Amino acid sequence: MEGQILPPESLTNEAIAERLTSTALESLKKRMIKKKPLIYLELNGCSGNIISLLNGQNPDFEYMLNSMVDLKYSNSLMAAEGEQAIDKLINAMDGEYILAVEGAVALKNNGLYNIIGNWDGKPLTGLQAAKMLGERASHILAVGACATHGGVSAAKPNPSQSVGLQRVLPDKNMIKLPGCPVHPDWFLGTLAHLLLYGEPETDNLDRPLMFYSTLIHDRCPRRPFFDRGIFAEKLGDKTCLFKLGCRGPVTRVDCPTRQWNGHVNWPIGDNTPCIGCAQFGFPDAMAPFISYDTTRVVKNE
Amino acid sequence: MQNIEMIRMQINYLVTQAHHDIYTLATLSDTSMKPQILQRLWDALSTIQFLSEWLANQAKTSYPILPSQSSYPVPSGNLNQSPIPPITPSPTLPIAQSNQRTFTIGELATFTGKNGRPAYIAVNGIVYDVTNNRAWAAATHFGLIAGKDYTQEFASCHAGQQSILATLPVVGRLV
Ligand code: HEM
Ligand code: SF4
Repeated sequence: MEGQILPPESLTNEAIAERLTSTALESLKKRMIKKKPLIYLELNGCSGNIISLLNGQNPDFEYMLNSMVDLKYSNSLMAAEGEQAIDKLINAMDGEYILAVEGAVALKNNGLYNIIGNWDGKPLTGLQAAKMLGERASHILAVGACATHGGVSAAKPNPSQSVGLQRVLPDKNMIKLPGCPVHPDWFLGTLAHLLLYGEPETDNLDRPLMFYSTLIHDRCPRRPFFDRGIFAEKLGDKTCLFKLGCRGPVTRVDCPTRQWNGHVNWPIGDNTPCIGCAQFGFPDAMAPFISYDTTRVVKNE
Repeated sequence: MQNIEMIRMQINYLVTQAHHDIYTLATLSDTSMKPQILQRLWDALSTIQFLSEWLANQAKTSYPILPSQSSYPVPSGNLNQSPIPPITPSPTLPIAQSNQRTFTIGELATFTGKNGRPAYIAVNGIVYDVTNNRAWAAATHFGLIAGKDYTQEFASCHAGQQSILATLPVVGRLV
């Protein structure tokens, strides 16, 4: 890197991400770091994380894929299909690789509820792939609610018996990025950190502290209303959404300052309560997402 | 009356400050100051709202419009105290107030936090008020709903975190 960054440096999300990207690019050019192979598995889920990632900026997804990693396999993004694609997946296992997984692992009927392809004429289950690839990966990223703790796939009554990735790889270290979906910055920032400086510092639930350390409630612009007991009674009200069921007070992540869709807005900014999508146990533990009977006063009940 | 005069002064002060902030914003060339000024404006506005709510409540109690203004029954003894909106978190709640009240499990079940009722839960025989606890939005917490005895759940989810209970206002005992 050319010289140090001296204050006053810009501390916006964009500026920090931009610095990470340019540092990575610089280091790649000077061959201080090497492109690493990445395998991106989509298991039992809705592919919402990969969709969210395509919305990344600084570094954007295409840039990340082309210049920082060597994408070996991604169900959604690769050109190969069918057995050809699975061949690539199996071949990639020979070398070193980073494994990113979105979606839960379906356990029912030995994994048959989630089949990701055919291998040697037999169905390859998500369960098999998660175990096989997980055991040999140099680093594992569990991406989104389903991979980190089961998420929506494991919501009651959980017909596919879905669980988070850690459950089938109990002895492996993994970085967990909860969220439904993951924010592109959380994933790309973690990956960039991994390539540049190794694994980022995490909390006791394996979440990178650089993204998951502050309570939404502590950075919420509506906090003055909460502190004075001024509560919204319906969606659209501009005051604190606590009585409607806001989960900002139990969810640790940086949405209030990072914001979504290119850092333009976020749920509370748009007058709807936080549903705690980045909290473990989402969605069941965060229900109800909205409640009106806590704000409606019925006289002489 | 003295209170009302003080609140009027406070509102006037906030309005003056807001005028000044708006002027500063309009003439600002260094945009790095903008978020701070906006935050202060925001705070001023919510304080003004809070104070005006208080004044409105004050006015209502001085000139009652309708006799049937009952919300949920206030414990007797402080009738002439106006219903000030709850301030959360409540650091110095009048815990001594009426915490000797007893509840049967059936009575507890009516304090669900719904339809204007407070939200109570019991742990180890003590009934706590979680109505305005930040972690109990919409009177629910990690799948638990208010109005029940959660001794076991507390022991399994918050083992060794007695300090949580110490922060909750006590409303009585479960019998
Ligand atoms: C199903 C069992 C439960 C689970 C999974 C659970 C989970 C949690 C979690 C994860 C937090 C921390 C949020 C954060 O700050 O990051 C929390 C906080 C809290 N929990 Fe629970 N909880 C359970 C049962 C209870 C019960 C029975 C009570 C009744 C007293 C309770 C009262 C609280 C309170 C008051 C807080 C806020 C603590 C603070 O101010 O730091 N929880 N709970
Ligand atoms: S809107 Fe939600 S996060 Fe914001 S202050 Fe209210 S309860 Fe907290």
